[in-house]
Amino acid sequence: MGETTEVKKKKRPLPKSRVMLNALVDSIYQDAYEAERKGEPVGWSTSIFPQEICTTFGVPVLFPENNAAGVAARHDSGRFIQTSEGELGYSNDICSYARLSIGMAHDIATDPNYEPPAQRMPRPTFLLCATNSCFQLLKWYECLSRDLNIPIFMQDCLFNCFEDAPADHRNKYGKSQILHNIKRMEELFGKKFDWDKFEEIQKISNLNSRLYDECVLMNDKTPSPLNGFDLFNYMAPMVIARGRKETTEVLLQLKREIQEHIDNNTSTFGSTKEEYRVDWEGIACWPNLGYNLKTMKKYGINCVTNGYVGAWSLHYNPGDLEQMASQYMLSSTNVLSTNSMMGKRADVANHFGCDGMLCHINRSCKYMTYHMFVGRQIVEDKCNIPVVTFDGDQADPTIFNEAQFETRVQGLVDIMKQNKEDK
Amino acid sequence: MKYALGIDIGSTATKAVIMTSEGKIAASAVVSIGTGTAGPKKALMEVLDKAGLDRDQITWTTATGYGRFSLEGADDQKSELSCHAKGVSYLMPGTHTIIDIGGQDIKVMSINDRGGLVNFVMNDKCAAGTGRFLDTMARVLNVEVTDLSDLSEKADEVAEISSTCTVFAESEVISKLSTNIKIENIVAGIHQSVAKRVTSLLKRCGIKETIAMSGGVALNKGLVKALENEAGCKIHVHEECQLAGALGAALYAMENTKKAS
Repeated sequence: MGETTEVKKKKRPLPKSRVMLNALVDSIYQDAYEAERKGEPVGWSTSIFPQEICTTFGVPVLFPENNAAGVAARHDSGRFIQTSEGELGYSNDICSYARLSIGMAHDIATDPNYEPPAQRMPRPTFLLCATNSCFQLLKWYECLSRDLNIPIFMQDCLFNCFEDAPADHRNKYGKSQILHNIKRMEELFGKKFDWDKFEEIQKISNLNSRLYDECVLMNDKTPSPLNGFDLFNYMAPMVIARGRKETTEVLLQLKREIQEHIDNNTSTFGSTKEEYRVDWEGIACWPNLGYNLKTMKKYGINCVTNGYVGAWSLHYNPGDLEQMASQYMLSSTNVLSTNSMMGKRADVANHFGCDGMLCHINRSCKYMTYHMFVGRQIVEDKCNIPVVTFDGDQADPTIFNEAQFETRVQGLVDIMKQNKEDK
Repeated sequence: MKYALGIDIGSTATKAVIMTSEGKIAASAVVSIGTGTAGPKKALMEVLDKAGLDRDQITWTTATGYGRFSLEGADDQKSELSCHAKGVSYLMPGTHTIIDIGGQDIKVMSINDRGGLVNFVMNDKCAAGTGRFLDTMARVLNVEVTDLSDLSEKADEVAEISSTCTVFAESEVISKLSTNIKIENIVAGIHQSVAKRVTSLLKRCGIKETIAMSGGVALNKGLVKALENEAGCKIHVHEECQLAGALGAALYAMENTKKAS
């Protein structure tokens, strides 16, 4: 056998915050498996549901969107999407997270030889659905409920069409749903709700939201201490464990590490020089995350901020259910008009000193596509930076094209370079 | 005298240009096969042969196009966007908007007076309206793609092709042929379908005079006319439009030659 000249690159050890994060995620899944084993309730939830309620009940809840991201990033989404489109007959035009999780739920329920993905989702016994981030969620969860024959707890979040201060009647409506859900859950879980514990968890959730915002904001330094894709990882505890003390520990550790990077003028971006600072707009292109990162690094692009990762930051006075309901109606900028939403993105791009914006046109999300194409002009006008779009998908691996992506990135770099030279 | 080479390796054709340090085109070549074929090598040999040069007499080689990373011996790679901008600006100074219909994509670029890229939009999701679309339609009609222009000039009406999807448009064309609609009118319909798609991108990017079209598809006068009708503006085409990308690459290569010396 000939001598190989290939030298394997030594993997950098994970920072402590990531080790803690992985342990936290693992323990949350273990809790769910344990409940499943004992025949106790296990929930599946949309990503921005008032999870403080189930945390108070001590009932484990997992998040198909979060799990789908991991499955897609591990290149394992195709088979579940295939079940959805084939056996179940869903259109490939609907959200790929929906296709993935509906396909997975069906396989879990019906396939005796089911092979779970690396991060196994237990079979749920109930569903939590909040309509704040996307309007497909409603049908998606209805389909899951019908296929698995399990109940849904709904938190209907109103579209903020007038963009005025949250009106009383809207907040009262939100609060009444929280109360109604708690009452129904007491019946389903056979447990009494502990209101004192609820307030404690609300406090932790608020603290975590504040800490997370601080971590995100610390990236406005040059060079940015974090590679922006890191935020896609660190948003996981905010999605799945917003009300837990362990999340506080992860975020405090992350904050220390970021500060250390700032003090030492280093970055998780690595040894590559941060030539260009870019706002990555939209969700990650999970099946192609590695390629996206590699290509951007090749051109010295660091994605320093992202509007999407802030959707799990909710600030309200613990104990104030109307305010809590209001926050759940507003946390995702998807409930705002394109003007407001993209205006906010432009402000962030300005604050972080971005040289350009790279928009992932996620085929799964028609809603965001509305924003991106119209919003492109808003950002260009407000920030005077180039905005480039590329096609991809959050979980369907058949949409993205590497050559198309690199051509657009190279074009963006050419414009950013010229703009810097002209300054 | 120093020489710089620009090579545009597209999905359906390869174009090469050698420039002198005086900023003149020494030779050019167009080969109608692109990346993944013998096209790049053939174009390289042809352009060197025409210029009477050996490869080692070339000081800098810049590759562009979808196959830009596959060329052995290239000194650097530039995106076709910037190369078209640079090339068109050289051929037609004063141009501020460029349309380029490539083999698998459509680009509309906004450029500054120096030929620098300011903004661009490209086709989304599918290859509708691209050069490959025209190739497929020509094959269905059993004509050469180079004949499409003359055929559309002879149309007495436009047979509308409503599908933008290449596969569906193909079956639409076949069904029109079976109902004895004149080929000339079908070709006019094909051009109109491409023109509509390109016009949407043109308007999205912003129309700023003067507007030029680059790439091989710009040689199709019938399509350019359809595009002018649809967009409501004059579109300028240089006789060497097909070379614009390679020319831009050669200009970048010459800049590097000068920087290196």
